[in-house]
Amino acid sequence: MSLLRVRGFGKRYRRVVAVDGVDLEVSRGEIFGLIGPDGAGKSSLMKAVSGVLRFERGAIEVFGVSLDSEASAERIKDRIGFMPQGLGLNLYPDLSVEENIDFLASLRLVPPARLAERKRRLLAMTRLAPFRGRAMKHLSGGMKQKLGLVCTLIHEPELVILDEPTTGVDPLSRRDFWTILTELLRDRAITALVSTAYLDEASRFHRLALMHQGRVLDRGEPDAIVARSGGSLVRFRAADQRAALARLRGRFPQIEARGRLLRVFVPERDPERARARVAAALEGLSVDALEADEPELEDAFIALLARRGDAGVKEEAPRIPSFAPVADDEAVMIEARELCRDFGDFRAVDHVSFRVRRGEIFGLLGANGAGKTTVIKMLTGILPPSAGGGRIAGIEMGGGGSPALAIRQRIGYMSQAFSLYQDLSAIENIRLYAGIHGLHGPALRERAAWVLALAGLRGFENARAGRLPMGLRQRLALGCALVHRPRVLFLDEPTSGVDPLGRRRFWEILLDLSRRQGVTILITTHYMSEAEHCDHLALMHAGRLVADKTPDALREELRREAGRLLELRVDRPLAALERLQGRYEGVSLHGPRIHLFAPSLEAAGVDIRARLESAGLKLISLREREPGMEDVFVYRMRALEREARA
Amino acid sequence: MRLWWRRMRVMTAKELLQLSRDPVLLIIIAWFFTADIYIAGSGISMDLRHASLAVLDQDRSEASRELVRRFRAPYFHFQGGLDSPREGIARLDAGESMLVMEIPPRFERDLQAGWPTEVQLQVDTTNTVLGTLATAYAARIVARFGEERALRALGIDRAQLAAMPRIVDRHRVWYNPNQIDPWFMSISELMTVITMLALMLPAAAAVREKERGTIEQLAVSPLTPFQILFPKVIAMALAILLGTAVALFLILLPVFHVPVKGSLALFFVVTALYTLAVSGLGLFIATISRNLGQVSMLVIVVLLPMLLLSGAWTPPEAMPSALRHAMVLSPLYWYIDLGYGILLKGAGLIVLWDSVLGLAALGILIFLFGIWRFRRQFG
Repeated sequence: MSLLRVRGFGKRYRRVVAVDGVDLEVSRGEIFGLIGPDGAGKSSLMKAVSGVLRFERGAIEVFGVSLDSEASAERIKDRIGFMPQGLGLNLYPDLSVEENIDFLASLRLVPPARLAERKRRLLAMTRLAPFRGRAMKHLSGGMKQKLGLVCTLIHEPELVILDEPTTGVDPLSRRDFWTILTELLRDRAITALVSTAYLDEASRFHRLALMHQGRVLDRGEPDAIVARSGGSLVRFRAADQRAALARLRGRFPQIEARGRLLRVFVPERDPERARARVAAALEGLSVDALEADEPELEDAFIALLARRGDAGVKEEAPRIPSFAPVADDEAVMIEARELCRDFGDFRAVDHVSFRVRRGEIFGLLGANGAGKTTVIKMLTGILPPSAGGGRIAGIEMGGGGSPALAIRQRIGYMSQAFSLYQDLSAIENIRLYAGIHGLHGPALRERAAWVLALAGLRGFENARAGRLPMGLRQRLALGCALVHRPRVLFLDEPTSGVDPLGRRRFWEILLDLSRRQGVTILITTHYMSEAEHCDHLALMHAGRLVADKTPDALREELRREAGRLLELRVDRPLAALERLQGRYEGVSLHGPRIHLFAPSLEAAGVDIRARLESAGLKLISLREREPGMEDVFVYRMRALEREARA
Repeated sequence: MRLWWRRMRVMTAKELLQLSRDPVLLIIIAWFFTADIYIAGSGISMDLRHASLAVLDQDRSEASRELVRRFRAPYFHFQGGLDSPREGIARLDAGESMLVMEIPPRFERDLQAGWPTEVQLQVDTTNTVLGTLATAYAARIVARFGEERALRALGIDRAQLAAMPRIVDRHRVWYNPNQIDPWFMSISELMTVITMLALMLPAAAAVREKERGTIEQLAVSPLTPFQILFPKVIAMALAILLGTAVALFLILLPVFHVPVKGSLALFFVVTALYTLAVSGLGLFIATISRNLGQVSMLVIVVLLPMLLLSGAWTPPEAMPSALRHAMVLSPLYWYIDLGYGILLKGAGLIVLWDSVLGLAALGILIFLFGIWRFRRQFG
């Protein structure tokens, strides 16, 4: 039975069409996902479904009530819970956890006796019980989001609408979040409409709609969408990555380097044949671990765009003009020594030390509030450290005056918000930053042309920066940060909100800069899949650096400590989850699949099968998966939490 | 050094470009320098106009009618007669009349008999300025009337009057001989507008960089805080000077015929200096605000005392002594002195050098304070 029905929905803001011609149907008891980058129209759709946004085209029916007037929207509001986008935007920062819950419950007229029981249960489930008295503004990002969820659920709605609940939240809190949602699904039979910009969260949904620029590209079960892309993914490692890339370019539509791994999307359903095609193309090159598999949703998304004839996809790999940063003989370009930073009583960064060699990409991972941005601000000289020091591009930090200026001339910085002047055109932005660095005349013209070529902005020179599509805006900001040929580049979450295609192009530029041109890059991101690109990864948690290794070393460590990552399909996953929890490490539900850690596939296979059969459950498939950086991160964080408790 | 200037130029050009791309801000600036000053100049008047007068005439004689007739338009507006004293009080209470005059019975007979008589005037002085004016005017009219009657009763004519030992008051009103309010009001409003925009515009430009996150980009570039902030002040001062010119040449001179006695060039130099001083305060506001909303509120908090302490509404001598000393800290105090001095009095640097010096000193001090706050915020 469908609980939510959307037909031909369209919404425009003045002349800008945000959403157009969307059809959806959500059945009772499922988690339905809306996946797409910023500007795909997810928020508009969710607000309209919640009855808080008027729309001009199409029809929406919730619980059989058609949302065609204020009055009908009021009728359904008791039965739905809506959590808007943004961390804790439905909460009051100065009220405590408990006061927030009580206030929202009283708005919903929840009887006191019921409230007490629900509050106890939800706080226990979200592990927020110890923080009842803490003001909301002092919670971490993940905790705020969980509190937001509690407040959304306090009147026990039948349908919850969650707008990007996991954006900007650390992977561990993200996992918690999905666990809570799964439990609610099992115990309370709720229905959820959830949006996300992370394509790798697709496996969490029963069904989903893939959205892009206000339209639905495809909808259905995640596996079906991936299958419809009509291709396979071939992965391998090459001794000479650049030679391999050169061979494959032009023959296959999507090629991506993820760290040492090359990923090729082959429009061929049969993995074996796809593998053979790539192997043939690589004839004569030394290739390692050539595997073929079904593609991820991200590959399918790009393939779908390509099929629609989206211009951006067909485009050749960007020809990155040579950059020639000022040469020097420094080997370690970024060095942090015991950096600390206090804000009042709060220690935001706690004795952080690391070194980044010339030409390396160094990734700093961590949740919002873990201290990543503060580290970058200290290294770039925006914020003075409370203690500790460092060396940037051969110059000692904290010298004040002219050494500080000298550092600034050698570094480029791009902040989270793509610090462009929205009301200036692309070329005016470039000229401004070039002018600040003292460029003028022919030198300025030459650099401006370079930035335009790098960002692929030809034809957009006179467009206002604020009106450029996200991907272009991001590359323009990168170009502006590179206008003075810096040797070191600091990037603070440069890819948030950008669509997968834009992210790939961005990374191609970064890889070229570091590999071919010797620029040293420090980057923070919360896309765990991007972490694979980095030569070195450091995890930050509560202001401290908890690991600093290569992605492969981190994976190896995980294998040694936690075991292999297994993925199984069962006919009734919720029941199976209960059977396996407690017996195995890291048991979690991913849509119809279950992930867990076990010492080996063979030994665990026998045990799992036995356990499931004794409960009358049927194991459909079982296989080993390569753990992603998210698995590494979550495992590490859990271990830290356990340590802290012990 | 050339690099230093180039950076300043690039940043100033950027500010001007941004300002020119902001239609809302441009409309606000245009409004304040034209319509707002026009409204203030033509609408607000310190004159007594159409003060409503009701009369309880218990005499109903030729003399009483003559007295009432002397309360003439446009100063007074005669509303008609009353039937009882109670009605008069009721009209005052209800705000329907501003003055109630009561003429006693036998008014004319007493005058003719050469006996003293009296009329009662009740005045609503809720608005102290207008109430005082109405009282003074009415008193003069009644006194004049009484004097003429007394002279006539004594049989003294004009020639004889001139020979009597009397002090004749011959005052001269300088600088605004016809006491035209629009001159005073429009200049005063222009100065208020300049003050408000000089506080608001640089503060808004600075805090907008904070809101958008572009301030960090500038902070990691090889710009000093002075190079980041001062171009904003230059650009906004240019906009304000342009607006001042528009206000002077489109409103003050052609519409209100304000005579410019002194040097306009000096006026613009002083205005530029003043804008710089006030911008420093604006930048200080920007460093302690997180968004445009906070900037606007703080601007009001700073603007009101500045206006009150400026001497525009109350002469400094009339202030309590503590406040009189505090006035020296309001740049507007110096600027008003200079502005009226140059425009209406035709004073030059020889007379005004101390005010220029005071303004310059205060301006540099405030501006350095603003920069210092900014530097502290961004290391």
